[in-house]
Amino acid sequence: MNCLEFRREKLADPRRLPHEALAHMSECATCRGFAAEISGNEERLAAVLDVPAPEGLAERIILRRKTGARVFANASPRLWAMAATVVLTFAFGVQQWRDAGSQEYARLAIEHVMHEPESFTTERLADPQLFHTVMQSFGGEMQASLGKVRYMKLCPVPEGVGWHIVFETEWGELATLILIPAKRMTSQSEQATVGGWTALARPGGQGYYAVITSSPDTLGKVDELVRQRVRWRS
Amino acid sequence: MLFKLSSRQFDQTARAYGADLYRYAWWLCRDRFVAEDLVQETFARAWKNWDSLEDLAAVKSWLITILRHEHARLYERKQLDYTDEDPQDLDLPSAVQTGAHLELEQFVEALPPTYREPLLLQVLGGYSCSEIASMLDTTEGAITTRLTRARQAMRAGLDAHEATRGAL
Repeated sequence: MNCLEFRREKLADPRRLPHEALAHMSECATCRGFAAEISGNEERLAAVLDVPAPEGLAERIILRRKTGARVFANASPRLWAMAATVVLTFAFGVQQWRDAGSQEYARLAIEHVMHEPESFTTERLADPQLFHTVMQSFGGEMQASLGKVRYMKLCPVPEGVGWHIVFETEWGELATLILIPAKRMTSQSEQATVGGWTALARPGGQGYYAVITSSPDTLGKVDELVRQRVRWRS
Repeated sequence: MLFKLSSRQFDQTARAYGADLYRYAWWLCRDRFVAEDLVQETFARAWKNWDSLEDLAAVKSWLITILRHEHARLYERKQLDYTDEDPQDLDLPSAVQTGAHLELEQFVEALPPTYREPLLLQVLGGYSCSEIASMLDTTEGAITTRLTRARQAMRAGLDAHEATRGAL
C-alpha cells in the first residue's frame, strides 16, 4: 500500500483500517501524522454529533407502546408555546422572510429566536474575539463592548447564512442580535412584537440587523447601546 | 408469553437505542421536537411490525431505516435526495462559503444529505462503508467517495479556521 491509498482508507473509514494500512502506517511517519490528525478531527466530530437526548425518551417510547398514545416530554409551557409557534411558522417562515415587507424583518427575527429557545439556555462560541471578527466582516466596527457574548450561531437564511448572537448586557439582561446579509431594508427601522418578544430591525453593514428582547424597555436600551457602540459601514 | 418476550425485547431496544436514534434524527431535521416525534413514530411503527423482525442483532439498522422513511414521509417525499451523481458535481461547504469561522457543527449542518447521512451513520452508528451502502441502497464505492470528500472538506475547513484564529 502506498501513501495515497493509505489516505483514502483513512478518510473513508478512520476507525477501520485494514491490515495493509496498519502495516503501512507503522513504516511511514508522514502517514502516521496524517492518521493522527484525521483521528483527532474524528473525535471532535463525534463530540459535536453527540447531541444530548431528552431525558425520559425511552420511558416515553415504552409508555406509548403500553398505552398506544403519544407521550410528550414534560417541557415548560413557555417552551411548548415556542414549539407551537415553530410548527406554525416553520413551513412559511423562509418564504415569508424572502418576501418580507414592512415590519416583516423584525417579526421574522422574533420567529427565528423563538425557533431556537436553546440560544438562551446554552453557551456556544462565547468568544468575544470571534464576535468582533464577525461584526467586522459584516460591516460593524465595535467602538465598545455590547456585553458578554453567550451564544453565536451561523443560521441558514434565504440569502445564505446569518449570525444569531445572544449577549448579556451590562445590566444583566439577555438580548439577541441577528445579522442578515444582502437583504436591504427600505425603511430606517421596523419594530414588531410577537408572543411577548419585541424586535427592532435597522439597515446596517452588509444588510440589516435586528435586536430582539423580551420587553420594549429593554429593547430601547439595547437599541441605544448598539447605535452608540457599533459604527456600521454599508 | 410470546408477547411478554417481545415487549421486553422492545423495551430493552428502546433503552439501548432511543438516544442514538434521537441523535440521528436531530441531525436530519435539526429540531428537538421534530426529532423526538420522529423517534417516537419510528418505535411505534417498529412495535407494530415487531414480529416481522427476523434478526434482533440487526434491530438498530432496521430502526434507522424506519426513521429515514418517517423523516422522508414528514417532508412528503418518498426518499431523501439521495442520488448517485458524480460527487464532483455536488457542492460541499468550504471555508470560503462559511467564512473563516467554520466550525464542525456548521460544517455538518451545511453538508448536503448525500454526504451528511453516510457521515452520521459512520460516526454515530459505527457502520462500515459496505453496511451504509446497503442501508442507503447505493454502492460501497459511492459511500467511500462521499465520506472521503466530506472528511477532506472538513479538514480543509478546520485548517482554514485554525489559520484564521492564528492570524487574529
